[in-house]
Amino acid sequence: MKRTIATLILAISLASVGAQEMEGVIRYLVVHNWTKKMAAVDYISKQQRERISYMWGSRSEWKMYTTMYITPTETKYEDSEERAEPDDEGYSWRQDVYYIKRNYQTNTMHDVIQMLGKTYVIEDSLHAPDWKILNDLKEVAGHICMKASWVDTIKQQKIIAWFAMDIPISAGPERFFGLPGLIMEVDVNDGGMLITADKIDLKTLTTSDLALPKKLKGKKISDADYIALLEKHMKEKREAEEPPFWGIRY
Amino acid sequence: MIKHAWLFGLLLFGTLLAAQNPSRVTIKGTVIDTSGDETPLPTVMLLNPVDSTLINFTRGDNKGEFSFKNVKNIPYLLKVSYVGYLPLQMHLSPSPSEVNDLGMVRIKPITNELLEVVVKAAKATLSIRGDTIEYDASSFKVPPGSTVEDMLRRLPGIDVDADGNIKAQGKDVKRVYVDGKTFFGDDPKAATKNLGAETISKVQVYNEASEQSKLTGVDDGKEQKAMNLELKEEYKKGAFGKITAAVGNEERWAARGNYNRFNTKEQFSVIAYGNNINQTGVNWEDYGEFKGQNTFGDFDNGDFGFGGGRYFYIGGDGSDVPFNNFDGRGFTENFGSGVNYNFDNKKTKLNASYFYNQTELTLNQTAFRQTFFQDSTFSNSDTSSRIDLRRNHNISTRFEQQLDSNNVLIVKAQTRFSHNDASYQQSQFFKDNNDQPNNSLNIDNGTLLDSWRLTGSAIYRHRFRKKGRSFAASAGYNNSKSDGTENLFSINRFFAATTLTEQIRQLNNNDNKGRQIKSSLLFTEPFSKKWFWETFYNFSQTDNEVNRQATDPEVNNERIESLSVFYDNTVQYNRVGSSLRYSYKGMNAMAGLAAQHLQLDGSYSIDRGEPLLTDPIRRTFLNYVPHIDFSYEFPFNMWLNLGYDYEVNEPQLNDLQPVPNVNNPAFRIEGNPNLGPQRAHSMNFNINRWDPASMSSVGIGANYYLFDSQIVYNQTIEQVDTIGIRTTTRPDNVSGGNRFNLYLWSNFPIVKTKLTMNINGNINAGKAPSLVNGVENETSNAGFEVRTGFNYTPSTKLIMGVGGNLNFNNITYSIQESQNQQIRNYSVEASAKWQFAPKFFFESNFDYNIYRNDRYDFNQDVPIWNASVRRLLGKQNRLETRLAVFDIFNRRVSITQSGTQNYVIRNIAGTLARYFMVSVSYNMRGYENKIKKNEWW
Repeated sequence: MKRTIATLILAISLASVGAQEMEGVIRYLVVHNWTKKMAAVDYISKQQRERISYMWGSRSEWKMYTTMYITPTETKYEDSEERAEPDDEGYSWRQDVYYIKRNYQTNTMHDVIQMLGKTYVIEDSLHAPDWKILNDLKEVAGHICMKASWVDTIKQQKIIAWFAMDIPISAGPERFFGLPGLIMEVDVNDGGMLITADKIDLKTLTTSDLALPKKLKGKKISDADYIALLEKHMKEKREAEEPPFWGIRY
Repeated sequence: MIKHAWLFGLLLFGTLLAAQNPSRVTIKGTVIDTSGDETPLPTVMLLNPVDSTLINFTRGDNKGEFSFKNVKNIPYLLKVSYVGYLPLQMHLSPSPSEVNDLGMVRIKPITNELLEVVVKAAKATLSIRGDTIEYDASSFKVPPGSTVEDMLRRLPGIDVDADGNIKAQGKDVKRVYVDGKTFFGDDPKAATKNLGAETISKVQVYNEASEQSKLTGVDDGKEQKAMNLELKEEYKKGAFGKITAAVGNEERWAARGNYNRFNTKEQFSVIAYGNNINQTGVNWEDYGEFKGQNTFGDFDNGDFGFGGGRYFYIGGDGSDVPFNNFDGRGFTENFGSGVNYNFDNKKTKLNASYFYNQTELTLNQTAFRQTFFQDSTFSNSDTSSRIDLRRNHNISTRFEQQLDSNNVLIVKAQTRFSHNDASYQQSQFFKDNNDQPNNSLNIDNGTLLDSWRLTGSAIYRHRFRKKGRSFAASAGYNNSKSDGTENLFSINRFFAATTLTEQIRQLNNNDNKGRQIKSSLLFTEPFSKKWFWETFYNFSQTDNEVNRQATDPEVNNERIESLSVFYDNTVQYNRVGSSLRYSYKGMNAMAGLAAQHLQLDGSYSIDRGEPLLTDPIRRTFLNYVPHIDFSYEFPFNMWLNLGYDYEVNEPQLNDLQPVPNVNNPAFRIEGNPNLGPQRAHSMNFNINRWDPASMSSVGIGANYYLFDSQIVYNQTIEQVDTIGIRTTTRPDNVSGGNRFNLYLWSNFPIVKTKLTMNINGNINAGKAPSLVNGVENETSNAGFEVRTGFNYTPSTKLIMGVGGNLNFNNITYSIQESQNQQIRNYSVEASAKWQFAPKFFFESNFDYNIYRNDRYDFNQDVPIWNASVRRLLGKQNRLETRLAVFDIFNRRVSITQSGTQNYVIRNIAGTLARYFMVSVSYNMRGYENKIKKNEWW
């Protein structure tokens, strides 16, 4: 029943005229809300989670920008140097290594991710998640988008994605992909993390835009290895009754 | 249900037919719009008809022709999406032939109004459920106080006439439901005219079969429009609360309760407690639930410049609510009650709270103190008894307004009324160098004090259009008044001079006032993305008025001139500074310099309006204070911080007064009007690392103070005929002295999630010079402390901990090396939490403390063992009963040993020892039916 969508994506990207035109840079605004993240950690008692939400309220938000370079066949996604938090301008945090590079023509991923104190290079073919397509429409950054949902059973996340009906590229922010259009917005765990495309700059990209920084080193693993690492971490955190989101990308 | 039954049938049918049908199929068709126009490049998806999972997708060509080649021949939900059109869904059965040609697939345009107004202009989500179109009403802005009807007038596709009749897409809306239910009968206007627009989150418009067809079950084709209004989540309120009552033997009791109500914008809470088991205030959990969203007060510090302005700290200064800060000595009876209100709609935040608390302390203690000077020592053994009642009323408010995205205003005010009634009896027994009794002094003092304090501040922050450029200004006003009387009585008996007895009576009236205004400015200019330049200015002016009138009740309440004083003191503080900061990718460095000007003005007389005792005193201090800090975040969760400051602290007011305080005649405290500020080089360093994979952390840090000018308390010890051995302390500035502290900690698992170990260590050393009878004495302190513990969690039902602590403190006195002290405190501890049956818990902890000082052959052990059993009751575990025994061995006593300057002191105070207690608690949210590993907030 299940089938890799990649061959189809390939067919579309070759056949479609519209796809050829889409090349440029998308800026996403990522809003983290740690009380909402805590609210989804089911092994921490409901009383504690409710108290956290009651005490932190609107103070628990944290904003950042990310960037996606996009061509009809390739994408590169990374954290932006541009700061979204005005009050944060006094202090600069180190950004963890996080580069998500996808080639939808060869159906491959080359992701460099810092996780649990190590840098990993995940090289594998692409396996799209089982998205469900829903009947809601809304506009994100000037594009009419359709709603899709997915439950990530490894990271315990409920994901709502909005994909553009008029941008036929199966890419998306973070590690999300595999929908008939470009993913413009992602809501993880009811506002725990909300990613919204807020600026689209169409222009011709150079090869350096899509290249990864040269000095990146990391242990090469497969996507299955990566999932196994995550699963182990989630299990340990569950046993220790600690929130799982410190040490890994949410 | 009907839909699912149909799907099930379809699947079953599909399976049955599978044998006949080809296993693979090509599905094709052409997408066009309902009016026959071409729709180029449509997106066509094949979904699983059961759960809408995406199986396959493609894109049609310029004419809208699409095909799925060689896909499995199973039931599908075919979905067509096209910008500006309603998504179309078609159920496909397995095809009997190899090509399933769907022919023309017609899609229906979304009305322009819905698309342009709802989706594009109002940014509302459009949900399509069959024939229902629903959208987010909250996206349409209406003035506050508007009704639903006012809002409906703005919605595209909906018309409301003058009488309030509603039409949707040209058809009359016959019914209006609220959350799916009819609202006050059949009149559709009842809901729309009466409900506030702000309560509605969604508006749904759909076709409903007519009443006729609902009755007959036959579709008469007469559909009518119906509307459903969905209420907002936030108008669904929440509440929680707890109440506990406990009684024990020996008249021990405790009660506490709190209740909270909230919605997404408002929080309201009340709390009350009372007990005689030494809980003097609220704990952290109570505080958080009481203050709610105002628990954390960030960016509230208006003292800009080095150190200030950017820090995140808890609840302002936390002084508005009494914390449980019992120091382990004596018995207390406590009452407290408060009410808090928070409002937060993201733009405006308001907090107001009131708290009343009172604590009555009964403290009986013995103290042994030995004082050293050049070639001699003396000691005093004291027995004292104190009853101290304190009452406080506290009102505090905080208001924050986000004027727009670049301007914020914060205003805070707090006022506090306090009453203090204390009586103090002390019996002191002095021995001289040869351990011979010298004299005994009995003191009986009473104090009554009423005071009032107001603190207010306002902070305004502005961000300029240029990124990183910002300006902030603050203003503050503080005012305080206190009015008190001290009734002092002492009798001194001398053992050598057989008959001499000296009695002193004194009545002090203290009337003090303080007023402070302050202001700060801060301007930040970015030079680039990485470099910032900050300039700040701080100003404050503090006026203090102290009036102490001492009288002798034995002599017609005549004023005692030598002890009466009225002084007026003004401190003017100006600081201007500038710093350069570099911030980029985990490296933050700052270097700056400030010029700090301090002017102290004082004038002294015996009473208000009387001639000055001395010429007015004016002292000015100008210091240039540098500041450096550096922090670097290494890859993989390692941080380094380094800092240097030149700290200048103005003298305390009490240290400046020209007339002595002799509340205890044997310990005379003098002030020094010529005292200068304390100046020190302060350096700090720390480095720490956290490893998320092994769940361990480690850190090390150090602080070092080198004094240029240290405020020390010089002592003069002399034999005075009518007093005996009298110690006079007088503050003065000396150069030299230092303080050093090194600390490290580590926390790591031995068996992940089961057994963890922690180690903490601390080494400190310090040198403090001071004069004793004019001879310089240098006291050196050197101490270290090691604390280690293991935490073992074999199952979710059991948590155990063991640990130990060693504390060494060596004190050496240059003035008399034979008196060098070695103070030792050791302890071991063990604890267990065990859920031994469903809803039954056992908790216990055992501490064994050892106190040693070989110099005095002091050796005392204090074992303390507490244990309790509790049980949860009820389906939702809302009720808890608990039986607890505290200090089973009945050995609890408070011991403190310390040594500074030229003396060592040991205090032993009685406190609450063994008692039993039974308690019943009720929690609206229910108690957690498991043992807690961690507290996350």
